[in-house]
Amino acid sequence: MTTLITTIRTVVGDALDRPSPLVKQSATVIGVGLALILLVAVPELTVTHGPSFWSSLVVIALATALAALMGRDRSFAKYVMIIPAIDVIGLGLFRAGTGGPSSLFASLIILPVVWLASGDGRRFIAYAIAGTSLSLVMPQLLGIVPNVSAIDWLRGLFTPVVFGLAAAIINELSRQSRAQIQSIKRLADDKETMLQRTVEYAAQLQDSEAKFRAADRMFRGVWAAVTEQSVIGTDQEGLIDAWNPGATKLLGPTADDAEDRMHIFDFHLPEELEAYAKELNYPPGETVLNPGFSALVENARLGKAESREWTYVRSDGTHVPVQLSVTRRLTETGETRGYLFVASDVTQAREVARLKDEFVGLISHELRTPLSSVLGYLELMRDDRENPLSEEQLQYLGVAERNAHRLLRLVGDLLFTAQVESGTFLLTDARDIELGPLVTASAESARPAADAAGITLEVGIPDAPAIVTGDPVRLAQAVDNLVSNAIKFTQRGGTVSIALHASAREATITVRDTGMGIAAEELDQLFSRFFRASTATRNAVPGVGLGLTITKAIVTAHGGQMDVESDEGVGTCFTMSLPIATPADVE
Amino acid sequence: MTETPYTVVIADDDADIRDLVSISVRKAGLRVLAAVGDGAAALDAIRTNRPDLAILDISMPELNGMDVCRAVRADAGIGDVRILLLSASVDEAAVNLGIESGADYFMAKPFSPREMVEWLAVGKEAR
Repeated sequence: MTTLITTIRTVVGDALDRPSPLVKQSATVIGVGLALILLVAVPELTVTHGPSFWSSLVVIALATALAALMGRDRSFAKYVMIIPAIDVIGLGLFRAGTGGPSSLFASLIILPVVWLASGDGRRFIAYAIAGTSLSLVMPQLLGIVPNVSAIDWLRGLFTPVVFGLAAAIINELSRQSRAQIQSIKRLADDKETMLQRTVEYAAQLQDSEAKFRAADRMFRGVWAAVTEQSVIGTDQEGLIDAWNPGATKLLGPTADDAEDRMHIFDFHLPEELEAYAKELNYPPGETVLNPGFSALVENARLGKAESREWTYVRSDGTHVPVQLSVTRRLTETGETRGYLFVASDVTQAREVARLKDEFVGLISHELRTPLSSVLGYLELMRDDRENPLSEEQLQYLGVAERNAHRLLRLVGDLLFTAQVESGTFLLTDARDIELGPLVTASAESARPAADAAGITLEVGIPDAPAIVTGDPVRLAQAVDNLVSNAIKFTQRGGTVSIALHASAREATITVRDTGMGIAAEELDQLFSRFFRASTATRNAVPGVGLGLTITKAIVTAHGGQMDVESDEGVGTCFTMSLPIATPADVE
Repeated sequence: MTETPYTVVIADDDADIRDLVSISVRKAGLRVLAAVGDGAAALDAIRTNRPDLAILDISMPELNGMDVCRAVRADAGIGDVRILLLSASVDEAAVNLGIESGADYFMAKPFSPREMVEWLAVGKEAR
């Protein structure tokens, strides 16, 4: 492409610079040459004045040499018009040397005059006239003509005027020609610029094509590598147009079987789709042709992210539970053109969750039975009136009992969290509870522990009753957990404040301590089962990480909410919000 | 007429618990007619001995406590036997299931032998 541009530039440039000064000068040289041949060949033609004749040849040779020089070196180009000017003088001398007014070669003057007249500008017409005039009166000026007549002087004026008219025409023609050349040059320049741009565009195109190919390769690689997720693309009606290897692995059909032939809802359990459509109030009918499919893409269509569990039906009729995310596919103008269905098989995850709950339940049950024996027989020993124990033995028995109870509590907590995780924990015995006495009781039962740890316990209960609906045993357990945690995590000399507040809509119980606090990045996981804050493990605070899980589960089951704020090294504040039973009761 | 001692059949798959219950029953002044380790044996023992009270563990092999309960209630000959269910399960749903199956009383494990003795003694007086 670059070569082509160079070629164009060369061709156009040459055309504009041609003919070179030497070529233009050659007309004069040839004319003079012919004249010299005639002078030799025709005896009637003679050199009448030697000095003029020879000097004319020198002058013309000089002009020719100048022309050759300027043709080679472009820097003198603007002085090129000196050459025809010199020629005019040289030819004037030539005429004077070959007969003066009667010379046969006067007409040679027309050659440089034409050149002169082609100069850029009207002034060259005047130069042509002046030059002609000068060369025609040359014999008189040189004094080589004996009898100068008025006709001779007149010739020095009339002929130049005629030549001037010719020069004017030539001047105008060359001006037009120059203008044409100029516009051709401009066109050539434009063309060159366009070509340059084309070259750049071509390069850019090549670059983007390479990028596109790389992206395409990347996409194909990823598409083929996703074998654990089924990725299916459909149009707006659910007709499948993209089907990845993961979909083949999960559901059976290959991309060729499925694409443009099957619909996404062919792989769904119809009952599930119907149930969801009912939930979303989609009546089957004219407005909604396929309520099941419409329900499936409802959220995606509105641009919302949705991920929920569905049951896929494989081509062999077997079922597989999946976690399915549905998103919409957009056109360049932002309109929905279809949907993407990304599904993960959750069979294993479900099985693991079930086994985990089963395991926890089993272990807890297996632990409770021996603990029942331990506690029962310890009590028999304590109550044996026939063989009373010594004070010391009773003390030992107390330690054994306390630890057995501790184990029992732990087992109970484990069982409870297993129930919460499997969703089998429900409030079965809900009644109206006044929170004031419940919080006070919790605080009072924690007071001995607080006193022993050298911690000040502050309790703030409003006079007005705060009544919520719930299970008093579980709610007390939740508050107990918060209070005992606060005491456990606060150093000697610190303060734990328990406060109850009630508004028309909700009751809040806050437990604030001046303890070691919790790192901000750990606050999210705080309520997860078996999670223990790094401050807890670092400071060797005993526990297994179930208390807050249980507390939160209890509060959630009561329709409430748990919040926590903490500053490491400053303290922590847990807030438990519970909806008020009947707002009218509270005043 | 001599007073017939209040009679009891005990069923629990854990021998130690079985003994613990037996001890409590004797301490309350009641008579243990049989102490067995599974539901089927419990049902046999109830049919054979016709006790006043059956103390049954809920989770047992063969027939569980609730199955025995239903079988007893369905049998006209022994339908009036009082039944106390013992369970290691703490949630109230289990209690409700036990009551639905026809049990009269429900006690959670671990139980306090002291409390069981008191409860049995009160029941004996009430009879």
